Amino acid sequence: MHRRSPLPLLLAALVALPVLFGVAYAALAVLGLTGAGATGKLDWTRATALLTDRTTWRSVSWSLYVATVSTAIATAAAAAVALLFPRQMRTDRIARSLATLPLPVPHLVAAATALMVLGQSGLLARLLFFAGVISEPGAMPPLVYDRAGVALIVALAWKELPFLAVVGIAMRAGVSRDLEDAARTLGATPAYVARRVVWPLLWRGLLPAVIATFIFAFGSFESAVLLAPVDPAPLPVLTMERFADPSLARRGEAYGLALIALVVGAFAVAVHEWTRARWGALVK
Amino acid sequence: MTSTRLSRDTRASRGASPWRAIAIVLLTISTFVPFVILVVQSSGESWRWPSLMPDALTLVAWRGVAGGAIGRAAFTSTLLALATAITAVCIALPIGRSLAQLRGASRHVAAALVFLPVAAPPIALGAGLQIATLWLGVGGTAAGVWLAHSVPAIGYVALLFLGVFSSRGAEYSEAARSHGATRWQTWRFVLLPSLRGPIVEALAIAFLISWAQVALTLVVGGGAVRALPIEVLSLVRAGQDREAAVGALLLIVPAVAALAALRVGVRRTDALPG
Repeated sequence: MHRRSPLPLLLAALVALPVLFGVAYAALAVLGLTGAGATGKLDWTRATALLTDRTTWRSVSWSLYVATVSTAIATAAAAAVALLFPRQMRTDRIARSLATLPLPVPHLVAAATALMVLGQSGLLARLLFFAGVISEPGAMPPLVYDRAGVALIVALAWKELPFLAVVGIAMRAGVSRDLEDAARTLGATPAYVARRVVWPLLWRGLLPAVIATFIFAFGSFESAVLLAPVDPAPLPVLTMERFADPSLARRGEAYGLALIALVVGAFAVAVHEWTRARWGALVK
Repeated sequence: MTSTRLSRDTRASRGASPWRAIAIVLLTISTFVPFVILVVQSSGESWRWPSLMPDALTLVAWRGVAGGAIGRAAFTSTLLALATAITAVCIALPIGRSLAQLRGASRHVAAALVFLPVAAPPIALGAGLQIATLWLGVGGTAAGVWLAHSVPAIGYVALLFLGVFSSRGAEYSEAARSHGATRWQTWRFVLLPSLRGPIVEALAIAFLISWAQVALTLVVGGGAVRALPIEVLSLVRAGQDREAAVGALLLIVPAVAALAALRVGVRRTDALPG
């Protein structure tokens, strides 16, 4: 008989306590009840100002855009690695190692390197100069601090690929050969097997990892502060700016922005657990 | 059957070979170019536009590491990361084991709760932790930053041990207990020896979480705690590319070593697939 004790759930709540405390404090700070510039009385002015400020939503939507595009690129690349190199041949093993090698590289290093490669006088600009495409750094299309967020997207996708590739390769290896053989025996082409047998199992297995990387991309401060434009500022950068604002009222807004980021994070956690609960057994 | 499978594999491989070749070229470029750039940048005397290589090579930035700001920051980061790794494993191991006993909806609720500090954007997490460390009197100190780094690290490692304990039954510890072993003896002589691989892995992961932290260190440390990532960030923003590249390479080295330790740890145990 399984013993039901409240202890495990209490321990889990203890691990989450710093986040729950942060949410409670941020909510009180936004309502003017505590923190910098607080009057101690319930005051909706700060919350209303924050929620009706166009800067807030431009920042949130730009961060969502960057996280979505970078995660989509990394997912496509990871799926390609898993599908193109599934066997135990030497080439396949080398390709899998190449894809997963940058796994331990910190986000900060990826962003700093992106700046050196994609900056106005970076390596790419120099190569284009020697190819005769541009004649001076000013002629290089801006890829850093640009509104399209090209360098930021590239740096985040490069950093996300190894983790998604590790998961994708493990998922691909877990797909039963019997299923593939059965489909081939019934006349399916290799492309058809990849599309209708392997891919449906692969994307379900990849989904929790995709959601996790999306959350990290959304909240990445160091990549954004080095590569993103000033306007629209990504949410983590805008939050940090408000924290350091000389005006106490604006400093309080930082907690509101942190709260928005936490809501996005909590929503992603819920989706993450839902996907694991729904498809976890199927792809195990 | 095997020969049929092999011939199918060969045919499929031949069909995809242009794509495989393109993929390998792209993977090679994307994996090695960033490292080469950092190495060249860290030892370039001056690198004027539009040269593809620096005018001359020098080790001046590397020589300055030992007694300079980068060396001090690397030392601070090492201590922080070691303290975080040990704290995280000591706290998260029993929590992960306890959570593995849960079944059904409560298991998903517990996993989601533990995942929260992992998933919370660092700046948002730092907002609450900054207040908590100020209340505890350790705001703006290395001790406060260590506590702050431990929060996401405990979440990660608890999830790891939840997975480890879920994949193995409690038969061995129950057998030890039924043969008269105390709770401590069961931990010391049954559980811990069988967990050597996952513990090495957990230490490596928690070390790396602290080692690469920027936002939490900035918010909780208030700029006073100069860990290596903070130093590198300042150098990049100041345009000191050569010193920044040295710092960036120093950030990569322990990360790669931790990954290697992780792989060795995993290989030495049957607990996780290699």
